[in-house]
Amino acid sequence: MDYTKQIQEIVSRLFAEEKIDVFVGYRLTGFDDNQVPVLIRDAKEVPLLVFNDKSVFNLTNYLKHEHTRNKRVGLVVKGCDSRSLNLLLTESQVKREKLYVVGIACDGVVDESGAKMQNCLECVVPDAVVFDEMLGAPKGNKAYMVNVDIDELDSKGLVERRTYFEEVFENCIRCNACRHSCPLCYCAKCCIDQETASLYNGSNTTSSAFHALMTWSLHLAGRCVDCRNCEKACPSHLPLHLLHKWNERVIYENFQEHLAGVHEDDRGAFYKYSMQDPDDFIM
Amino acid sequence: MARVGVFVCFCGANIGDFVDVPQVVEEAKRIREVKFAIDYKYMCSDPGQQQIRDAIAQHRLTSIVVAACSPRMHEKTFRKALSDAGMNPYLLEVANIREHSSWVHQKDKKAATAKASDLIRMAVAKSIANEQLHEISVPVTKRALVIGGGIAGIQAALDIADARIPVVLVEKSPSIGGKMAQLDETFPTLDCSQCILTPKMVDVASHPYIELIPYAEVLELEGFVGNYKAKIKKKASYVNFKTCTGCGACWQKCPVKVPNEYNMGIDKRKAIYTPFPQAVPNKPVIDAEHCTMLTKGKCGICAKVCEKGSIDYTMQDEIIEREIGAVVVATGYDMWDPKPYEEYGVGRFKDIITSLEFERMVSANGPTNGLPLRPSDGKVPKNVVFIKCIGSRDEAKGIEYCSKICCMYTTKHTILLHHKVHDSHAYVFYMDIRAAGKGYEEFVKKAQVDTAATYLRGRVSKIYKKGDKLIVRGEDAQIGQVVEVVADLVVLATAVIPPAGNPDLARLLGISYDKYGYMSEAHPKLRPVETAKAGIFLAGCTQAPKDIPDTVSQASACAAKVCGLFSGDTMKKDPMVSTVNNEFCSGCQNCVKVCPYGAIVTEEVPQGHGSKEMRTVAKINEGVCQGCGSCVAICRSMAISLAGFTDPQIINEIVSI
Amino acid sequence: MEAVATNQLVSIEKPEITAPPDWEPVIMGILCNWCSYAGSDLTGTSRIQYPPNIRIIRVPCSSRVDPWFLIKSLQTTADGVLVSGCHPGDCHYISGNYYARRRFLVTKKLLNFVGFHENRIQFSWVSAAEGPKFAKVVAKVTEDIKKLGPLHLYKKENFGK
Repeated sequence: MDYTKQIQEIVSRLFAEEKIDVFVGYRLTGFDDNQVPVLIRDAKEVPLLVFNDKSVFNLTNYLKHEHTRNKRVGLVVKGCDSRSLNLLLTESQVKREKLYVVGIACDGVVDESGAKMQNCLECVVPDAVVFDEMLGAPKGNKAYMVNVDIDELDSKGLVERRTYFEEVFENCIRCNACRHSCPLCYCAKCCIDQETASLYNGSNTTSSAFHALMTWSLHLAGRCVDCRNCEKACPSHLPLHLLHKWNERVIYENFQEHLAGVHEDDRGAFYKYSMQDPDDFIM
Repeated sequence: MARVGVFVCFCGANIGDFVDVPQVVEEAKRIREVKFAIDYKYMCSDPGQQQIRDAIAQHRLTSIVVAACSPRMHEKTFRKALSDAGMNPYLLEVANIREHSSWVHQKDKKAATAKASDLIRMAVAKSIANEQLHEISVPVTKRALVIGGGIAGIQAALDIADARIPVVLVEKSPSIGGKMAQLDETFPTLDCSQCILTPKMVDVASHPYIELIPYAEVLELEGFVGNYKAKIKKKASYVNFKTCTGCGACWQKCPVKVPNEYNMGIDKRKAIYTPFPQAVPNKPVIDAEHCTMLTKGKCGICAKVCEKGSIDYTMQDEIIEREIGAVVVATGYDMWDPKPYEEYGVGRFKDIITSLEFERMVSANGPTNGLPLRPSDGKVPKNVVFIKCIGSRDEAKGIEYCSKICCMYTTKHTILLHHKVHDSHAYVFYMDIRAAGKGYEEFVKKAQVDTAATYLRGRVSKIYKKGDKLIVRGEDAQIGQVVEVVADLVVLATAVIPPAGNPDLARLLGISYDKYGYMSEAHPKLRPVETAKAGIFLAGCTQAPKDIPDTVSQASACAAKVCGLFSGDTMKKDPMVSTVNNEFCSGCQNCVKVCPYGAIVTEEVPQGHGSKEMRTVAKINEGVCQGCGSCVAICRSMAISLAGFTDPQIINEIVSI
Repeated sequence: MEAVATNQLVSIEKPEITAPPDWEPVIMGILCNWCSYAGSDLTGTSRIQYPPNIRIIRVPCSSRVDPWFLIKSLQTTADGVLVSGCHPGDCHYISGNYYARRRFLVTKKLLNFVGFHENRIQFSWVSAAEGPKFAKVVAKVTEDIKKLGPLHLYKKENFGK
């Protein structure tokens, strides 16, 4: 999967036609074949742009950036990225008419070792769901798969899970990189940092990490698109996808809701209800 | 620095016998913020309240905790004590140590006392975070909208208008009167229905405070209690009501004949018509579906014969707006179509009719000059079988409720039959005879004697034709035998159902309806005329099947509620409503979606100080907000706070024990 | 579902934690004003007895209950939480309990996933007329939490009672 040339052509054209102020894309780090996000503001910088199976980061995170807000922005999105874009549109964080979206029918991306990432192996929506033009042949959606890690954890006992997650919470240093890298975390002041919530929650105790991660995953429930920005950003290498995929599974199995961001105007499971929602867990 | 006063009530022996009150007071004094704590036998009494007032005056208290009975009982009482002492009434918290401690842990005084202490600690912690709240004043438009011009709507409109409050009465058919105008005589008095109804109809038309808008529908209702705006569509009648005298020349000459809805399709009306002779307003309308001039461009006779030139084929629907303070919904009922009763031959046999069809036939202004006639051959029936509970009380037909009026009107029908056809005989198949109103049981007993009708307790399994008669096969459960009755005419007492338009109207108004389509009242026993939405009231069968006396009572009750709502220039509203902190709001509008009352809209505010760029934030209308807190919990940014149940208040409660 | 610890004083999620012999669990109850709180008042007026471990907080609607109240309760003094609201369809505020219902299920399952027994937070629909039901609900929850043992949520600080 390599669309470097096509993307460079498109962005040159966009700048020539003065359709955008800034383009969010990928460039090489300069010292290895890994890629980092780049904001292109000038046609001269277009040759920096690349796109291949190492273009991992979900670029929609940059739509909350000071350099893209209120500007006309072009960006390239894979399947999962476009779903978070859909959610941002539905939640009025960005205006569609200010965007030029290059959608990718994605074959999956790889991690540093060259192996396909787990979320790509389990990907259900590879093709961009919102785009102004699409690169690559659409593959269509696949059937839902339960993440292998949560399946494994689910089969273990309560005490084992408790011990496992205690270590996870212990290792969290409350750096908040996960929040900063998640495209859907755009609140001006995170609720966890507000006075009332932070009562009795020290800065990096296990207890405060528990509170932060529980609240964060519940706020992302029904919205997370499994782009793994958070896991890549986490300096403690916490398996954050476990919480999000678990919530996704609970929502998918119990509420018959579509996956986050697949449809336009779909806010996510917590913002609607059905008369058929499960009730038997309630006395 | 918080200075909390704690007042612990013995409530006589109710609390005192099961909770160690003096110990509770001592423990309360040990809480750092508590500067004053006493106990008293009856806190809610005047001397008890005086203790509170004195303590406020003498000890510079910043909030008050009363540990006594449930706040649902006396929160208002104690709030008043605070405001009498010059303290904001919302600085009070009540710890429920009676219903939640002394009464439910009677066998363990130690545990009950510990719990009471904890509950007080929670209330103290909450009260420290209480804010001073002030009742919200909302302006009120003193005009009522009544939807539906049957007896319910008419009564409500008259009662409100008599209080010198303007009323807009909207009715979807060309005349007011509703089902009651279709009745011959009404139980239990056998009053002539038209005779008692038409004076009220005339009063409505001539009342200086009532604006009657017939042949119209409500399209939209926006706003909130005291401040609604209604959009009403006046359907084109093609007749200029201002110049029309009601002489009738037009409908006499009209060549088009259409089944007459007023007479249940038994006879025909013209394409230009008044629904019935006593219609109010007594001006005809043109039925656009059937008028050949409007559909094909041919005819035009009515315009030719109209001396006043009142016919206008070019008339359009007109949309008007009215500012409204309160709405009364009085859309009435419909009759269930007994088609599912195939075993009775409904639709196949002509001589099976519904109760309303029978009512029309026996009416003096009906299609058969007041005589019941067999539809098949026009002969006067001698043996008439009345079958009750057609659809009602029948899970299989999807109507589980009792329609309430059919037992009484069936008895009435036996009386009317007896009067009209002296040598007739009535048979009534029934499950029960429900005659619960004033004079109802006596009415039924007298009818049974006077008409000598045969009452058969049992259901009908089948009706079939034999020659030109109908054989009604049913059970007489009292003798435990199958019986067959030879009938000339069968009358089915079909179920009362809500009007088909109720769900759509409910959604338009923002009120709820039940699984059948009846509009939902706020509380079935204690608030039967209000809905969950402030300012919208229910009168008559739109809420549940009922007879005329109950309908009129409910309509008058609505009028009383409306008058109460309009009794001042502004309305006072509970201040425990939600507000948005723009600083934290991210404009995602999840709250807008979740609010059950549509109290949240968006507004544009500058992105930052002096910024030209705007961003969207949520804005809560404090007049509409009912204080449920759905928006608060749904807001990820914690940008909304609900006065009286803020996050600091609740968290204080949680962490204090 | 785990086998319940036979020694009820052992914390089921962390068996090395034991409680003193006279340990009584603390249950945080969050009740909606219009149905469940009224129902619990009726329990009181009817003098129906139930275990004294529960501490009740009043909210206007079950939809006011944010999942982090439950987390905060477990982080501080509660060993278990009960949230109760109006039956679906009867919500005083029309639709609040429908939204609450979804949040409750996901929160419960998530807490179970990270290693807390799902009975630590429980939910009920109790109407204003269901005095006896409220007592039964409280008794059940108290019994369940007793069997699960004290909740040790990582380092549960003493918040200076």
